[in-house]
Amino acid sequence: MIDLFLLSAFEENLALSFFLGICTFLAVSRSFDTAVGLGIAMVVVQAITVPVNHVIFHHLLTEGSWSWIGLPDADISFLKLLCFISVIAAIVQILEMVLDRFFTPLHLRMGIYLPLITVNCAILGASLFMAERHYTLAESTVYAVGSGSGWALAIISFAAIRERLQYSDVPRGLQGLGIAFVVTGLLSLGFSSFAVIGGVP
Amino acid sequence: MDRVSITGIWRWFLALPNDSAAKTLGMAFVVTLTASVFVSISAVTLQPVLRENLAREQQIQMQHMLQSLVGMSDKLNAENLEELVVRLVDLQQGTFSDQYDPALFNQRVAARDLELSVALPLEADIAGIRRRSNYAPVFFLPANNGPPLIILPVHGAGYQSMIYAFLAIEPTTDTIAGLTIYEQSETPGLGAKILDPDWKSLWRGKKIFDERRNIRIAVVRGQAQGPHEVDGISGATRTGNGVANMIRFWLGDLGFGPFLQNLKSGELEL
Amino acid sequence: MLARAFITEPIITANPVVRYMLGICSALAVTTSVSTALTMGIALTVVLICSSAVISLIRNHIPNSVRLIIQIIIIASFVIVIDFLVQAFAFDLSKRLSIFVALIVTNCLVLGRAEAFARKNAVWPSVLDGLGNGLGYSLVLVVVGSIRELLGAGSLLGFQVLPLRGDGGWFEPLPVIMLAPSAFFIMGLLVWALRAWQPSQVEEAEFRLQDPQEKII
Repeated sequence: MIDLFLLSAFEENLALSFFLGICTFLAVSRSFDTAVGLGIAMVVVQAITVPVNHVIFHHLLTEGSWSWIGLPDADISFLKLLCFISVIAAIVQILEMVLDRFFTPLHLRMGIYLPLITVNCAILGASLFMAERHYTLAESTVYAVGSGSGWALAIISFAAIRERLQYSDVPRGLQGLGIAFVVTGLLSLGFSSFAVIGGVP
Repeated sequence: MDRVSITGIWRWFLALPNDSAAKTLGMAFVVTLTASVFVSISAVTLQPVLRENLAREQQIQMQHMLQSLVGMSDKLNAENLEELVVRLVDLQQGTFSDQYDPALFNQRVAARDLELSVALPLEADIAGIRRRSNYAPVFFLPANNGPPLIILPVHGAGYQSMIYAFLAIEPTTDTIAGLTIYEQSETPGLGAKILDPDWKSLWRGKKIFDERRNIRIAVVRGQAQGPHEVDGISGATRTGNGVANMIRFWLGDLGFGPFLQNLKSGELEL
Repeated sequence: MLARAFITEPIITANPVVRYMLGICSALAVTTSVSTALTMGIALTVVLICSSAVISLIRNHIPNSVRLIIQIIIIASFVIVIDFLVQAFAFDLSKRLSIFVALIVTNCLVLGRAEAFARKNAVWPSVLDGLGNGLGYSLVLVVVGSIRELLGAGSLLGFQVLPLRGDGGWFEPLPVIMLAPSAFFIMGLLVWALRAWQPSQVEEAEFRLQDPQEKII
């Protein structure tokens, strides 16, 4: 399990190796504090949605899950996309309401990121990878926490770099978006060096 | 008096203020229903095409694998490729199984299926494959062609990719008759040298076990000494070790070990 | 004339990917070859056109509280169908595209156009807008894909353009181009080139460096 965690956080980092969730990444990472908030929100949402999606996928959508009702051949796994995205949207909505009701100061600080996360490629991507790779429930949870943490780490590092970058002499054409891409590329290069640490044979 | 008609209800529904509860629930329901029906119709229509694609891909993979067997050993050439028999082996029991059609059995897919495979504990997983399918196809030439030759599909982690190969064994003498690698993505020029016919021919005639039936086959740095060792490829130690570990795993207790033992003791007949 | 404005404008002057950072997510992972990039671009354009059309059709009846999820469901349905079509008729390509066609659902570009345009405009303009933006996006993908495939394998669309050293030619492919980081570098350089051509798109720095040569008044 440890190497699954390390693999999903470093070597197969959702942001830096699969380019998932970059939009939010690039738009939000100008400030360190917002990046931290977004990162934490991401880990929490991942840790809830991927296992829930796993349960729904394996017990409602895959072949054989409707055998108790007399339809053993029913395979509606093609609905997984609709299902996952609806579940994610619903969970994020509920989370927002729960935060607002019971943890209002937390909601004020972090609540604005939750809607951004609903349409984040990384959240949906993690659930889709989970389905494609046939993880068990335990593996799904580890994968969720690992990939969420990896994404959070990437975005926080990036925000820190970008804050410093505002004071450097960047060529005019590269200002803003251009240099952001180059820095992300360098970060990605750095993270790929973790391949050996991840313990992948 | 107004007739209550479907269009009437529909128009009434559309005229509702957008944020009313009825409209909200109604719209959500209508959109979801339409979407699901639309998707389901396309799924059902396209399902046969998808299945055909998968079956065709299976066939191509099988063909590709079989082609690489040609020339693997002196006894195997393009002609008697036709005579190869394929049967499914239950790896745990070491016996033949008729549970599934061996020609269609896809080991890679089975390894991901929770019912058809086992997860390997870390210390035992020397080939780095994490999960092992419970069944595997084996190929052999029928007995009337002299001493039997068995071809085992093996796979294991190399330096940067999964290596897929066939290992030909002469079960009566416990020697390797040949090795052929049909899928790998190792470093070109270094690890990929495992595809060199010269290197592959080094495996022929190597003995697998020692007197006490421990697996001794290994890839060594530099020159091989003795019947259990194969020369390593310089600059590609990890790939070489990957191949060695792959062979050791699949000839061991978690691989085809029980099957080979049953063959040797005569409990199982080809 | 109106049609031309809708279609040509988003391709260069307001290229959604390059200017507004929209939809880059899946853009880069599939740009290792021109064929995958092209398939992805076409898939997204079709989804964009269809979903913009449908959303525009029902735009006057979408309740505010479920607006986002309804748009997502409509987009998701088209994505699923497109995914099926790619798997059915371009099976080998679909294996390389993996989950990225499915990720068009959360593509910032598709959602962005739905929110910003389709929700407020009639069907035909929405369709044109979708077509224009989709083409702009496909253009960026294909350009990056061409660069990566050419330098990484010496081929374009599978045809060997630069003869490989291994086959008796002179070209030594650069495996580093096929890795993730180089896609980012190429995008950065592309943005730079585009902004050099169209200086109006340059973002101004938030802080100006003080020139030490300037006299302090």
